[in-house]
Amino acid sequence: MTIELKGRIDSNNASTLEKEIFARLDEEKPSEVVMDAEDLEYVSSAGLRIILRIKKRYDNLRIVNVNTDVYDILNMTGFTEIMTVEKAYRKVSIEGCEVIGRGANGTIYRIDQDNVVKAYNNADALEDIQHEREVAKLALILGIPTAISYDVVRVGESYGSVFELLNARSFSKILASEPDKMEWCVEEYVNLLKKIHGTVVPEGKLPDMKETALKWADFTKDYLPEESGKKLVALIEAIPHDDHMIHGDYHTRNVELQDDEVLLIDMDTLAVGHPIFELGSMYNSYVGFSEMDHTVIRHFQGFDWETGMRFWKKVLAAYLGTTNERKIQEVENKARIIGYTRAIRRSIRRAGLETEAGRAEIDHWKSELISLLDTYDTLLFTPYELELEAVQENLEEVQDFVDEHLATANCSAKDRMQIGVAVEEIFINISSYAYNPDRGNAIVRVTVSEEPVVVTITFLDNGVAYDPLAKKDPDVTMSAEERQIGGLGIFMTKKLMDDVSYEYKDGQNILTLKKNL
Amino acid sequence: MLRVNRTMENGIVCLAPEGRLDTMTAPEFDREIKEVVPQARELTLDFEKLEYISSAGLRALLYAQKAMGKQGQMKVIHVNEYVMEILDVTGFSNILTIE
Repeated sequence: MTIELKGRIDSNNASTLEKEIFARLDEEKPSEVVMDAEDLEYVSSAGLRIILRIKKRYDNLRIVNVNTDVYDILNMTGFTEIMTVEKAYRKVSIEGCEVIGRGANGTIYRIDQDNVVKAYNNADALEDIQHEREVAKLALILGIPTAISYDVVRVGESYGSVFELLNARSFSKILASEPDKMEWCVEEYVNLLKKIHGTVVPEGKLPDMKETALKWADFTKDYLPEESGKKLVALIEAIPHDDHMIHGDYHTRNVELQDDEVLLIDMDTLAVGHPIFELGSMYNSYVGFSEMDHTVIRHFQGFDWETGMRFWKKVLAAYLGTTNERKIQEVENKARIIGYTRAIRRSIRRAGLETEAGRAEIDHWKSELISLLDTYDTLLFTPYELELEAVQENLEEVQDFVDEHLATANCSAKDRMQIGVAVEEIFINISSYAYNPDRGNAIVRVTVSEEPVVVTITFLDNGVAYDPLAKKDPDVTMSAEERQIGGLGIFMTKKLMDDVSYEYKDGQNILTLKKNL
Repeated sequence: MLRVNRTMENGIVCLAPEGRLDTMTAPEFDREIKEVVPQARELTLDFEKLEYISSAGLRALLYAQKAMGKQGQMKVIHVNEYVMEILDVTGFSNILTIE
């Protein structure tokens, strides 16, 4: 039952009001009572006592639509601590406003030069808004550039959150209007993506994407042949838990350029998980959802199918740090397994089976998914970069990481051993000297290019600046008696690799090895 | 990752490392060498099952060669092509007796 409170409540009218209210409560015997304070101007201690007496009978009493003055009174008297008090929300109109983004839960409008509002689809969105504010704050603290809403408002029958977004343009707009910025967009977009995926989230702060994906699979499997369905669930179950951040809806409308800064928006899908889940949703944004009808992407992103396709391919290559078509194709196919699983569920839940076009699209995704499930036995892939503590004990992990890349490049056993030796010498050098006596991390990147096949391995650390190549080579013609123990590692590396280079840039030691296969 | 098989007879010692001789496993190989050197007239290193060697392994070899050079003989046998290349590049093939 809703009780509307109006005007002023003080000792003049309190006892009359109390009688009225309790008469209604006795008659209707509601299970829940909400006080709507939209038109309440003032409440004195006599009025507060009525509220207390109602609260005694209805422990779940809530007061909503409270204006600032009344809220102050309730706050000072401690009422906000003993019951739910919801402030009145400023009303914002989105009529005629430009749509600048469309997310899973709402649409983002520009309401004036400096501000945007994300209007939620769901009328009961306060919880979602609270969630999004919390995850955006978490992301910001963890170093992800994002906008945090500063106000919650009413938008029609639902709610919205307001953000400051000055002179911002989404990457979708940039791609649609300035095709020559493609390379720049790819680079910035991938940099941000890697930053997200490199961010470790404290346990329990974000939902696990694997659980969400298992729900998709559990739904979609019923529309697949039994064997395919089983395999789909098994493949997702086999993905190990990963505590790195993923955005969950990482497309170019959710990446904004504000002045010179690249910002991530629409944070409500933030989660933790293996990057394959992210790539699956990205595939859908640029390709999957538009596979049957190429005009769909224009509605989502504002640019055409060809632009989306080109952008996606370049992004995937840059993210994987390779031009090796086979490797790119393999990861794309694994992403498609996740993408189609979600797309089929989404479409069926939106009555896709009830139209001919919908059925044709679902059939197309299904047949692609079934054949992909026949081809792959894992959804994992080797990332292009490994960051870990620079300690000797991690040598094996580094060697395994490099070996996984070499395995895709048809590398001979001899080359593999020589690369292994060079990797060991450099990693052990960093472990021993870069941070001594403190500790710190090293990053190892591996790329394998095609035609000619060249393996490039880069080591980065933030330790003391040191150029190991500047050291004089040992004299290898000396006799055993004359030779000193040590000094051989870097020399061997130079001899075994085709090119070794060093630079110190932005506080980082960067050592690059190249080997022609 | 590394196993060292040891045989010893009348001051003739044979060590056969099996697996990878790298930063992590070299200390173990080192220990073996330091243990057998005082009793060895002749030291044979059988590399038939050695798959990998880095500078940490070479340091152990150099130590053994220096120690044995003073008191007896040392030879390295059954070196595979990949390990041989490492020994060539570093000049170790000139200071070791390789059969």
